[in-house]
Amino acid sequence: MARISPPPALLVVVEDSDEDFETVVEAVKRSGVLTEVRRATSGEAGVAALDRLAIDRPVIVLMDLNTPGTDGREALTILKTNPALKSIPVVIFSTSANPKDVEFCYAAGANAYHVKPVQYPDHLQLVIDLVGYWFGRVELPAAGGSGS
Amino acid sequence: MTQVNGTTPPPWAGQSYSVKRHGITLTNCDSEPVQTPGCVLAHGAMLVLRPTDLTILQASENTDVLLGRAAESLLNQPVRTAIGSNGETSLQAFLANEPTDRNPLYVFTLPAAGEVPPLDVTVHTIEGVVVVEFEATGRTGASEPDYYGLVKKTVARLQTARTLREFCDVTADEFRALTGLDRVMIYKFHADGHGEVFAESKRADLDPWLGLHYPAEDIPKPAREVFKQIWVRPLPDVSGDLAELVPLTNPDTGRPLTMTYCALRGASVMYTEYLKNMTVTAALTLPIRSGRELWGFINGHHYAGPKFVPYQVRAACEFLAQVVSLQHQAAEDREHLIYRLKLDGTHQQLVAEAALDGGLATMTDGRPTLLDGVVSGGVAIYHHERWWRAGTTPTETKLEALAEWLKDRPEFASPTRPLYVTDSLSRDYPPAAEFADVASGLLAIPLSRSNRNLMLWFRPEIAHTVNWGGNPYDKPSVPGPNGPRLTPRRSFELFQESVQGRSAPWLSVELDAAARLRMLVMELVVTRAELLADLNADLTRSNEELDAFAYVASHDLKEPLRGIHKYAHQLLEESAEKDYEHRKRLDGLLRLTVRMDSLLDSLLHFSRVGRATLQTEDTDLNKVIDEAIEMVDARRTEGLTEIAVLRPLPNAFCDPVRCREIFVNLLSNALKYNDKPHKRVEVGFIAPHEEDPRPGCPTGSDDLTIFYVRDNGIGIAPRYFEQVFKMFKRLHGRDEYGGGTGAGLTIVQKLVERHHGRVWLHSTPSAGTTFYFTLSSREGA
Repeated sequence: MARISPPPALLVVVEDSDEDFETVVEAVKRSGVLTEVRRATSGEAGVAALDRLAIDRPVIVLMDLNTPGTDGREALTILKTNPALKSIPVVIFSTSANPKDVEFCYAAGANAYHVKPVQYPDHLQLVIDLVGYWFGRVELPAAGGSGS
Repeated sequence: MTQVNGTTPPPWAGQSYSVKRHGITLTNCDSEPVQTPGCVLAHGAMLVLRPTDLTILQASENTDVLLGRAAESLLNQPVRTAIGSNGETSLQAFLANEPTDRNPLYVFTLPAAGEVPPLDVTVHTIEGVVVVEFEATGRTGASEPDYYGLVKKTVARLQTARTLREFCDVTADEFRALTGLDRVMIYKFHADGHGEVFAESKRADLDPWLGLHYPAEDIPKPAREVFKQIWVRPLPDVSGDLAELVPLTNPDTGRPLTMTYCALRGASVMYTEYLKNMTVTAALTLPIRSGRELWGFINGHHYAGPKFVPYQVRAACEFLAQVVSLQHQAAEDREHLIYRLKLDGTHQQLVAEAALDGGLATMTDGRPTLLDGVVSGGVAIYHHERWWRAGTTPTETKLEALAEWLKDRPEFASPTRPLYVTDSLSRDYPPAAEFADVASGLLAIPLSRSNRNLMLWFRPEIAHTVNWGGNPYDKPSVPGPNGPRLTPRRSFELFQESVQGRSAPWLSVELDAAARLRMLVMELVVTRAELLADLNADLTRSNEELDAFAYVASHDLKEPLRGIHKYAHQLLEESAEKDYEHRKRLDGLLRLTVRMDSLLDSLLHFSRVGRATLQTEDTDLNKVIDEAIEMVDARRTEGLTEIAVLRPLPNAFCDPVRCREIFVNLLSNALKYNDKPHKRVEVGFIAPHEEDPRPGCPTGSDDLTIFYVRDNGIGIAPRYFEQVFKMFKRLHGRDEYGGGTGAGLTIVQKLVERHHGRVWLHSTPSAGTTFYFTLSSREGA
């Protein structure tokens, strides 16, 4: 990653499953979007990573709900109640289709909720679509806009 | 009885009263001076003496017959003129030593003289005079019976009686044995003053009067007052003559003689007439008292002419009457105790059965019922928003109105003992007059404070339960010798008035038992409510756990499944064109993961269907079926298909979204399991009154609106009719008929059950299947 300007978009993936993370990496590769991918395997690690980050570029968080330790729900709540971090879009990417989870996440400020498909091609395509959408179509907060 | 106009003076105004002269002109027995009749029963004689010198002041006009001297010749003479010097000495000594005031006592027997038999002489003092009465001893020459022994035996028998009735039966038997009268009755007053023949001992050939009721007016107030003072009232000859006192008033004081305590007191003409109307020829009456109050009578009647009960026997009777007065209360207490134990036993059994049954229905429909407890004609319970009835009660409509009225009664607001009781409901609640025949008496207890749950006991009107002592229905009205007074018909009319709209009174032991039953029932209801609350809490907890489990399980199962699918997919891509067998296995692996995925989804969906709350509303099923057809349309298979709704569906109270899911599942099955070139599905319903066949219809559903989805598909063999509803049960190969998880019908069944409905099917293999279902357990619900 030797590029200097502009810094590539950053995708923070909170995911404990190696297979699912690989799928995300593969999807990002296929999407053609120039994105740096960072992984955290637990909610607290994800929050810590974001906290340390100097936010000077577009950032999207792709969050699995059922991660060890601080799970995705807690991590989401922490992010969305932190004034410095709450404007970062958080996309929930979970196996759970439990309506309670869906409701909870939106109420806590999640920006989207997706259920991981079991079939690989579908799974892959969904992540490609997501990356394309969030980094290609959506106007994200100005870089460093809310940074402290 | 006609009332004497208050301003009209009695016929004897201005002169002394003599029942012999003035009696028959009476029109109102309550105004008769029964204690100063001025006459004695002519079978005996009387002298009234001045206490200081025992000079005769008054004498009955028949002394010539019994004492050998005309009354006039005795006046102002010393008493020895009539009873001899020995008699006078005895009398003097007796008066000096014995408690004779208002207490007639036997002094000696005057020996026979000529045709006159030996005479018992009794004496008492009252209001400053000495009253001496003479009566035949009645002794036939044989030795005296052992009255002491007789009485002792009787008292022993009375003490062993277990109930009041048994006690009274013994009393009647013993009195008849003692007196030799044809009939002895125990006459018991009710709270309203009317009386009932409560026990009876009689000559075998006489009609029984047991259980007959008599109006309060049959025993006039003055007569009742007398019996609070005296213990025995003989009337040896109803048709016997009366002998007037000479002079009628005391020459010293000018006052009539108070004859309350005289055995020979001249009988009221009302009384003798009443007895004559009943063909009684002789009578003997003793009071049964309860403290100072008159509880009833021991009533002896004789029909075969005069019956003289001598002083000695009367004294024994008097003693017995006192024993009866002291002990009947104990017998009644024993009886109430037994009744109370019986009530409590029955009520406890009722509550125990209700607890087992889980409702109060057993109290009216079980064995025993409430009717086996408190004596009543009917009972009704309002509980769980409906009435339960047993015996004879007002209609439910009437009960509804009564319950509305009762709920605001101040008695129900009592914090300690909410209980409403009356023996004349129509007096408090006028609409009750309509059903006074079955419910003049009401005992009501509330079973809860918040809603109007109730327990009611009804008692019929007395007029419908008693036999009146004159057989008014059989006999024409026969006026007595003095007009219609004191005839059975006349009395009955009065009686009917007095008991109109009245029931037998409720005993305090019954009220106590009802109050205790209320506590038991409320305890039961509260216990059940607590139990239900606990169960609900448990259920909620276990539902939540199950819910969480289903999601967690599916998540945890799906994650590896996704990995497996991914690797299989990648392997398949990499093995491109290399090895056919290898590719086939990887294809199989992919297919299995996809299938497992849909199984997990079905499982999740099913667990959600079972617990999600129904959003029920009055639903237009035509809209629901239109949506369902539209949703199924996308899945419609190749070939000519047709879904027909034969006639507009009725509205139903259901959850429209769930209902649509029922139809979608049934419709897609109907199309899926169909190999006909022209696939035809028919949607319809059978209304409750319609004649259409309902094959396989479960009992209880045949009078409900039944919906159906009928196809011309492959059909289902009868042995699978039950199995098709089982989770993941498929009748065909996994990939036949478009595959599927086999959860659709299980979900349909679950959804129908959530609506308290039933689902079933009828089918002819290779001809078609009809699925029937209902959406409620009650029509209109």
